[in-house]
Amino acid sequence: MKKLISIFVLLVSFAFTSNSYSKTEIHWWYGNSGFLGDVIIEIANRFNESQDEYMVIPTGKGSYEDNMAATIAAFRAGDQPHYSQVYDAGAAIMVAQVKNGVVIGFEEMAEKYGIDVDADNYIPGIKNFYADGDGKMIGVPFNSSTCLMYANMDILNEVGIEEVPKTYEEFEGMAQKILDAGYIPLLQSHSPWIWTENFFSRHNLLMTDGNNGYDAVPTKTLFADTEAFVYHWTKVKEWYEKGYYGYKGRAWGDNQAPFTNGEAAFWFGSAASFGGMKGVLPNFTTNPIPYWDSVTGGKEYPTFIGGAANWILNGHTEEEYKGLAKFIEFMGSPEMDLYYHNMTGYAAVTKGGIELAETINFYRASPYHKAVGDQLGLEGSTIPGGYRAGNWPQIREVIYENVEPMLNGDITVEKALSNMDKGAAKLLKQFAKTL
Amino acid sequence: MKKVQFKSNYSQYFFLAPQLLILLIFLYWPIIQTFKDAFTMQDAFGFGSQFAGFDNFLFIFSDPSYFTAFKFTIIYSFVITFITGSIGLLLAVQANKVMHGKSAYKTLLIWPYAIAPAVVGVMANYFFSERYGLLHHLFNNLWGFNWYENVFDAYIYVIIAGSWKQISANFIFFLAGLQAIQKTVIEASIIDCKSNIRRFWTITFPLLMPTTFFLIIINITYAFFDTFGIIDTTTIGAPGSETKTLVYKAYIDGFKGLDLGSAGAQSIMMMIIVLVITIFQFRYIEGKIHYN
Repeated sequence: MKKLISIFVLLVSFAFTSNSYSKTEIHWWYGNSGFLGDVIIEIANRFNESQDEYMVIPTGKGSYEDNMAATIAAFRAGDQPHYSQVYDAGAAIMVAQVKNGVVIGFEEMAEKYGIDVDADNYIPGIKNFYADGDGKMIGVPFNSSTCLMYANMDILNEVGIEEVPKTYEEFEGMAQKILDAGYIPLLQSHSPWIWTENFFSRHNLLMTDGNNGYDAVPTKTLFADTEAFVYHWTKVKEWYEKGYYGYKGRAWGDNQAPFTNGEAAFWFGSAASFGGMKGVLPNFTTNPIPYWDSVTGGKEYPTFIGGAANWILNGHTEEEYKGLAKFIEFMGSPEMDLYYHNMTGYAAVTKGGIELAETINFYRASPYHKAVGDQLGLEGSTIPGGYRAGNWPQIREVIYENVEPMLNGDITVEKALSNMDKGAAKLLKQFAKTL
Repeated sequence: MKKVQFKSNYSQYFFLAPQLLILLIFLYWPIIQTFKDAFTMQDAFGFGSQFAGFDNFLFIFSDPSYFTAFKFTIIYSFVITFITGSIGLLLAVQANKVMHGKSAYKTLLIWPYAIAPAVVGVMANYFFSERYGLLHHLFNNLWGFNWYENVFDAYIYVIIAGSWKQISANFIFFLAGLQAIQKTVIEASIIDCKSNIRRFWTITFPLLMPTTFFLIIINITYAFFDTFGIIDTTTIGAPGSETKTLVYKAYIDGFKGLDLGSAGAQSIMMMIIVLVITIFQFRYIEGKIHYN
């Protein structure tokens, strides 16, 4: 009987889905999985229910890297989706593809198909990160995060630390106490993103020549040439040897797991990591990432936008783009923006979303969500709000490859950083040739 | 015996066509594309394509991590070949002696061969997890195991992960080889020599040489190409780039780094390496083997 019922249910659901064939299909590929992937599916479902002309079909392709590779392969085969989520490190590649007719810029799309969301409605920092050299927004801001410091307040209370550290100096001062109590003082999940790219932004330092690639195509990174950066990694290595900092390999989750299990006091991760931690770790807070007081002289600077944007791909029909325009409009509405912000911890990307959050006193109800906006909203930076450097996914790999021998003492900090510079310079040169 | 001869000159092409078409699409076409990629410089989407000569090759030769990957691949394939070959042989010899429940032993020993490398990698992941890994804890108690930063420890990790499944393949072929040896030869040798071990090395093992040679090639090819899934699910090449095989590096540069030129050049280098190894094997090792 059970079998019969399930067959019946299947048939009925087929009957309903077959209705969708009369709708215009819009394919959206994404590179999130697990909980974040579920939220994306939910967004598409809500859009599909809100009208009956168009149908957005989200397809998860694995990680950000996987999705980007899949999108490119699909484009080369002439079978690309309409809309694809590409991450921060791939932004330079995508922006460069507008001239080849691969990507349609948001503003061009808005003009042609009348999207009722203005580019200026997106927060300037986020808008600029995905804009071209003339400031025209190309990618559509979606999941914007940045790195944050998560603190286990139970551990801090136990060892008698009242204030979460604001600076690395303060952290250094309390690390021994935490270690003595049997906990790992600090972990972080992404050396290139947190302790390289965002080290530079947090301290208002240029990471590559050509003004981070905004003024000219970059030819080299400034890792070994930046005194503060050398100092930082020298300290990290010292911490690693003393046990203040624990390295658990390259996998994001392996570094997060001890923190989630209550074995570490601090962990640096993404603003969007809190979703998986809420309800698992009883008493934690999200805080801005520390900075070196000695480097900035007490000033705090904003970090780069992390996460990803959605990019409109060329090669589809007018009717489909009209539907996509509707979908972009839908996602840019204050309600959807706040919904996504609330569910995932990613920053609210539209001014409307932030206003709505303030009207309903959202941050009083959920203080977790505040740190990301606070850190991204800091002012006073003289460097650009991002970096335009090609081949960056590979440069991240080069960074990883040199962090490990540096930590285990095979090479010195100076050597590791100059190796990174050398590797990066070669990759940047290679990229410049294809422009 | 009567020779069978087809009358038509064309029908054979008709019957061969599907197979040739498959070869053309899945073998020759990609090879041609690879050559094209290796000698051009292009962006990820295939635009700005221009002839680059040997630039891509110079690029990989000036990359220290390419040589690290080369070194690791050589070490890895030799160690895997040796470990899987010797354990497979040992198990085959023991299983061949068993009188009762022979097929049960055989089946159990063959099973791991059916498991996909990526799945093996995920399983190894559990064994070597710092949090709940049995092997991690065992090795950690012995000498302070930490594959995140220690190259030797990372080697142990990927070698154990890579060998386990391949032992089964070696076992099957050695067992088949042992059963093909005629009983009369063994019985005759028992009269001449009492020592089991000596008899094995002087009579049985030389008769197994064709199998051994075949397995050496199979194992090297396995370590070169099929361990991709294992590396990707275990160390992802860390620490540094010490546990990246050449295939894995080509994948990372091509699919994650989106640099098809470099990945193409690396594929061609790999082709040359495999060619050289195979020629060497057939030239110098096969000459010393007697097939019956």
